Amino acid sequence: MSIPRDFARGIAPGPNRSYAPPPIHAAAWGTWLAAVVVVLAVTRNPLYLLFTLTWIGWATLLVNRIAQNAAPGADTLGLPPVQFSPLTFGLVVVTLSALFNGLNVHVGTHVLFRLPRGWPLIGGPITAEALLYGALNGLALTGLFAAFVLLNRVVPVRNLVRLAPRAFYPVAVVVTIAVTFVPATVRQFASIREAQAIRGHRVRGMRSWLPLMLPLLIGGMERALQLAEAMMARGFAAGDEQPQSTLWVRAALILGMVALLAGMLLHLVWRMPVWGPVLLLVGALLIGGAVWRMGQGQTYTVYRPTAWRVQDSVICGGALLTALAFLVELPGLARTSALYYPYPALTWPQLDLGMGLSTWGLLPPVFVLLWSLAKQDGPANGADVSDVSEQ
Amino acid sequence: MQPRQPALRHSFTGVIDGAAGAPAALPSAVDFRQVRYTYPEAATPALDQIDVQLPEGELIVVVGPSGAGKSTLLRLVNGLAPHFSGGHLQGSLRVLGLDPVVATPRLMSREVGFVFQDPENQFVMDRVEDEIAFALENAGMARQEMRIRVEETLDLLDLAPLRGRRLDMLSGGERQRVAIAAALALRPRILVLDEPTSQLDPKSAEDVLAALVRLNTDLGLTVLLAEHRLERVLPYADRVLYLPQEGAPRLDTPRALLGDEPAATTIPVALSPPLVRLAKTLGWEPLPLTVKEGLAWSRQLRVPTARGAQPPVAADTQPILSTHNLHAGYGDCPVLHGTDFAVRGGEIVVLLGRNGSGKTTLLKSLVGLIRPQRGEVRLQGVSIKGKDVADICRQVGYLPQDPNQLLFADTVAEEMAITLRNHGYDPRGYDLPIAPQTLLERLGLAHKAHAYPRDMSVGERQRAALAAILVTRPQALLLDEPTRGLDYAAKARLRSLLEEWRGEGMGIVIVTHDVELAAEVADRVVLMSQGEIIADGDPYTILGSSPLFASQVARLFPGTGWLTVEDALDYFRGQTHAPYATDDYPDEGA
Repeated sequence: MSIPRDFARGIAPGPNRSYAPPPIHAAAWGTWLAAVVVVLAVTRNPLYLLFTLTWIGWATLLVNRIAQNAAPGADTLGLPPVQFSPLTFGLVVVTLSALFNGLNVHVGTHVLFRLPRGWPLIGGPITAEALLYGALNGLALTGLFAAFVLLNRVVPVRNLVRLAPRAFYPVAVVVTIAVTFVPATVRQFASIREAQAIRGHRVRGMRSWLPLMLPLLIGGMERALQLAEAMMARGFAAGDEQPQSTLWVRAALILGMVALLAGMLLHLVWRMPVWGPVLLLVGALLIGGAVWRMGQGQTYTVYRPTAWRVQDSVICGGALLTALAFLVELPGLARTSALYYPYPALTWPQLDLGMGLSTWGLLPPVFVLLWSLAKQDGPANGADVSDVSEQ
Repeated sequence: MQPRQPALRHSFTGVIDGAAGAPAALPSAVDFRQVRYTYPEAATPALDQIDVQLPEGELIVVVGPSGAGKSTLLRLVNGLAPHFSGGHLQGSLRVLGLDPVVATPRLMSREVGFVFQDPENQFVMDRVEDEIAFALENAGMARQEMRIRVEETLDLLDLAPLRGRRLDMLSGGERQRVAIAAALALRPRILVLDEPTSQLDPKSAEDVLAALVRLNTDLGLTVLLAEHRLERVLPYADRVLYLPQEGAPRLDTPRALLGDEPAATTIPVALSPPLVRLAKTLGWEPLPLTVKEGLAWSRQLRVPTARGAQPPVAADTQPILSTHNLHAGYGDCPVLHGTDFAVRGGEIVVLLGRNGSGKTTLLKSLVGLIRPQRGEVRLQGVSIKGKDVADICRQVGYLPQDPNQLLFADTVAEEMAITLRNHGYDPRGYDLPIAPQTLLERLGLAHKAHAYPRDMSVGERQRAALAAILVTRPQALLLDEPTRGLDYAAKARLRSLLEEWRGEGMGIVIVTHDVELAAEVADRVVLMSQGEIIADGDPYTILGSSPLFASQVARLFPGTGWLTVEDALDYFRGQTHAPYATDDYPDEGA
């Protein structure tokens, strides 16, 4: 098919078709998320928890602002709608977690009231320590939820799966499809429920789910087949032209796994300080090499790869510093202040300036988003949702 | 892991040199020579004696009754059959000189783009631009080349303003254009489309067809298109490939195929659009294919100037179903704004309107699937507030757009038995509202009582779903897009069923984009826009005067109030003098 030059001339970017590269690389977001997970897993110090939650909340607000500015049309933003806001989640989870812990753990010196001893599990003193510790656990869970929601909103699944090694490209595509299949399946289930209701169907017992699940299952399989047919018609790697992995690659994979297992055993069980880590390293190298070699056979390109820029390095650096501060003892930092424990008697949480500042390593995404927002507010930039949604 | 290849048997024969028939003026894009294809475990071939050569650069429409093998023929062109479906292929097939069986669909994808009926089921990515780039990424194309291809394709299909949009936020027509763009990204020389407009409203269908015509005329792309609604596509077709249920196919110009030749090789009258049916009966030659061509003839006829409005059917009787100041919607999003609507026994009401005008919301509100935010719905004069959907549906049958969602049992008879049990009847009892066997006979499904519903044709599946909801003998029937995907024969059967039920006093409401169906069956037409009823009256007044919803006959004879071929023929049959106003017949070339 020859395409007239007119069409090629039409590709000069106009105001509503310009492509703005995403401000933050998916891998940088991933590293940031990993650091958030480390902090929230390690610390129960309410001050550090509040710092971390504040940074996550700030980033979330900025993302929402950018999205609202981009296209004042709510659903056309390109961002998936949030089904359950982190704020609602936090209110529910913090309350439930405090109540659960308070009713089940009867340890602590500040007794608020007592439930009769005879009551199973919850009988006994209800202490401020137990309530507080439960609430802190709830706060940590809220932070995790908010961080994952944020990542889900700003990083499309396809960008995440593109981080997968080249050898796993077909698997990554399948994951993308599986993720896009979920909302379609939910919609289909709602339609089937309606369709069965108009035949007089009522959900009563287990058997009454059959008229709902069977059409869902059959319909899902039919859709999967149609999609497979469509992908085949569009030249998706059917596998028959992919070079088979050689014997060496397979051997390297198996040896690598054996080395990893042996290394873990030597290191963790027999406490061998040299041979354990050496075998772990050898195993990792063998597996990495095999995966890299397998990826050589994949012929695919990426339409819009995200460039790695200075801000991404800064985000990763900050996240690594934060994670390190909470994982290992660093000189000048009182890591023990992170390990706040309200039992047996309530104490004020200790604030170590160095540790507090180390949570600021999670802030660079906020600065980048602020910068994006400032750029977006500028007169030259029109309403382009890709700034956020294409990340 | 290697994907399991379907069982494939291929009797390879080389291209027959010097085969019968003079070489076509244009080189063949697709060359079928004595092709016969049988699906796995099928007793009879799905295609037989296919011996046609499809010229390159033309827009070719594949027509034929359901089950004639249109989809199979299209799937042979890019090798999906037999590669995906398995089966046995005999004869010789060449597509741009390639054998699709040897080349595999993967390689054929560079020469043949394929678009399926339902765009939703063919998308891999979630955004317009990524979807178009998907095939290019798979082909390992250099990034710069890929950028140019995507931009060109976006412009070709007029999709540039939608490039960053999520696919699930697009309208049906926009989605189908994205599917076409995705198929075109690899710059194929042939574009194959399997009923691409069957799920679309008239405006979206027009947009898609306009895009196809542009691709064909501007770029010389060969377009091979299967379609049931001939009135939509015939004006654009260079040639038509007619696949009869039995016998050899025929490739010819639309006029020749629709002409008055022996029935075995021409498209039967029943499969022809209303304009062609009327033109053939009145002897218009050359056969007009567009309303514009038809007007050159119809303007020469003496026709009455106006037709009196029809009195509404039993307007004084109590409605079976009615809404009063109904406000309803989804969550915080209101759709209906104070709707007053009623349907009485023995009338067919057709709801027309653009996508998103609130037609389906009104239907769902009538059966309680959507609860009113304000106002009320009454069944036999009693509010349905607080009633269970299941209880309402004992008296009101509702057929949703996709009948597959209703069907899950092993046999059609079991489907009916399940509905009966849901409503507390014993399927083997004697106090049933209607005997299941009688209902199946009336629906023409008596021989399919023990067939697996999902293996049946689209029309049969729809009737099986009707059996499942009508077995309680409801007083009202609500149908949402009932002609979607139906061929003319299945449509005619549905029409006669509707007329039968109306005669028995059932109140019927139909939501449709099919104006020809509305013209044929409606006693009353209701036009909706933005959640409000903007017109409600007899079809002669509303369909005769609406430019968007007028039938072909109404466009040919504006002001007469005629809507169907029968309306026009009734008048002409009653005329004793020559119907033409002047002695001059329109020019041959009109």
